[in-house]
Amino acid sequence: MVDLVSVLASGILVGTVYAYMAYGLGLIYGVLRVVNLAHGAFLTLGVYVTWWLNTTFGMDPLVSILITVPLGFALGATVERTLVFRLRDSPPVTTLLLLFGVWLIVRNVLYLIFGGADRSLLTSYSLESLVLGPLTLSIPRLIVSGFSLLGFVVLALILKRTWAGLALRAVAQDREAAALSGVPVNRVWAIAFGIGSALAMSAGSLMSLFYSVTPEFGARFLLKSFCVVVLGGLTNIGGILIAGIGLGVAEDLTAFYLHTGYRDVVSFLVLTAALVLRRADAD
Amino acid sequence: MSPSPWRALLLGLAALVVLAAAAPLLISNPYASRLAQLLFLNVLLASAWNLVGGFAGQISFGNASLFGVGAYATSMLWLAGFHPFLTMPVAAFLAAVYGVVWGWPCLRLRGPYFAIATIGVAEATRIVANHVEAAGGASGLTLPLEEDLGPVLLYAVGAVLAVSAVLVSVAVRRSRLGLGLIALREDARAAAASGVNVARQQVTVFAVAAALTGLAGGYYALFTLYVVPEKVFGFDLSISLVLMVLVGGIGTVLGPVLGAGIYLFLEQFVLASLADIHLAAFGALLIFIILLEPRGAAPRLVQLVRLIRRRLG
Repeated sequence: MVDLVSVLASGILVGTVYAYMAYGLGLIYGVLRVVNLAHGAFLTLGVYVTWWLNTTFGMDPLVSILITVPLGFALGATVERTLVFRLRDSPPVTTLLLLFGVWLIVRNVLYLIFGGADRSLLTSYSLESLVLGPLTLSIPRLIVSGFSLLGFVVLALILKRTWAGLALRAVAQDREAAALSGVPVNRVWAIAFGIGSALAMSAGSLMSLFYSVTPEFGARFLLKSFCVVVLGGLTNIGGILIAGIGLGVAEDLTAFYLHTGYRDVVSFLVLTAALVLRRADAD
Repeated sequence: MSPSPWRALLLGLAALVVLAAAAPLLISNPYASRLAQLLFLNVLLASAWNLVGGFAGQISFGNASLFGVGAYATSMLWLAGFHPFLTMPVAAFLAAVYGVVWGWPCLRLRGPYFAIATIGVAEATRIVANHVEAAGGASGLTLPLEEDLGPVLLYAVGAVLAVSAVLVSVAVRRSRLGLGLIALREDARAAAASGVNVARQQVTVFAVAAALTGLAGGYYALFTLYVVPEKVFGFDLSISLVLMVLVGGIGTVLGPVLGAGIYLFLEQFVLASLADIHLAAFGALLIFIILLEPRGAAPRLVQLVRLIRRRLG
């Protein structure tokens, strides 16, 4: 029983990070109708920038968010302005392949600079844990989960209260009507891609606290992000949070009761099942 | 672009004659022989991928799951004592069955949703394959070196498989099935409204493509004598098929053949010296094709042939 509760608690903590990591993908899809296969590239870049800042300057991963957010925004907006923008009227699959090309390049650059070895990042609190009666919760997981929730609050405020947020929601709802009412759609697209990438890179900063740093980091978490976004309903913050937690718990239960090796199979199967079952949304 | 059935059959026979004539050169040394095997393999895989990706416009990132089933079926049966040629139909059949098992639900999705679902299926398959101890687990299976079929037989099998795959492409392209698929690619709703049985046609052609991909897996096992999940179920394999067909010309019969050749050339001769940046080179190539040459090399080649014909009179 205590085992089960521990597994559930740890699944919930990881799940909030999953939701945070996936949100950018949903936002970009909602506004641009583009499947961002370069999402994995931004996640991986976030992890590496954070690791590099930590090993070179001793910067805490949580502080490095102040760097990965603006950097992610700038990189994302640049990719949108230079590449994605050119395919605005092509079928969505071509943009997907284009962004996959971007990801291959980023992965290769990371291999060239850092090599393929697994690295990890250790802080003073990395191995600490909080004991609550029979429950033991890892401190980094608690912190990361708290930051993810905080990130969601900030994001919700931006979307609800600012002009940019209003414009994003308008374009997501109806691009032509938004353009007719004077919303600069081009700029909104770049902003949406920038915010989505900033979210991905800062998620990388958070995740560097308990996942190993490799150029293949993004591959694994890109698919999980898809899974969360498809289950949760693209731009619906509440839905994505629930889907993220659901996936985190399902994975931890599988790893605990079945086999750790099958942890990732859960997300891939859930992803495919969710896509097929939600096909009404897909058309 | 797509010749009539009789002409196609004649061209196929002519291709086999040319390949037979070229055989002494292509099996003269182990390296040439391996290049020929890889070329046949690529033609087979790319043509199969194009049946669904090109004609129906359903981009699959999951064909490695079918290739792996074929490769393992052949390897395991061969190790169990069956003659390798007998294992090939089984490889094709099992891959087709697995293709229908996941293709049937997934093909109801379109565009990017189908593409993502195929990644999910293929990655799940890869992880499971790594854990099946009966099939050697993550370290894979090594086939008996002393039973190697030899370069002549492997060349002949590869040539027949590759030419047949192209003929299947011609047949599908010209059939009602192919026309239905193209109608579907252009406008799914209009196709359904004009009486195209969207679901069944896609699944049928996907089963054919899966069988060919399974055969390719079996052939791969025959000439490499070593199968391992990270390779035969790997994501890189699925990606290379997408690249081959895009480079050659998506949705044409000639495109996958050209693309298979161009890809092999790039992989063996250009990237061998640039091993450190091969991912980036493929990424840049992908971006280049999509932005500047989305129809691939095939239409350019056709243009060139026309130009030469006109010059000659």
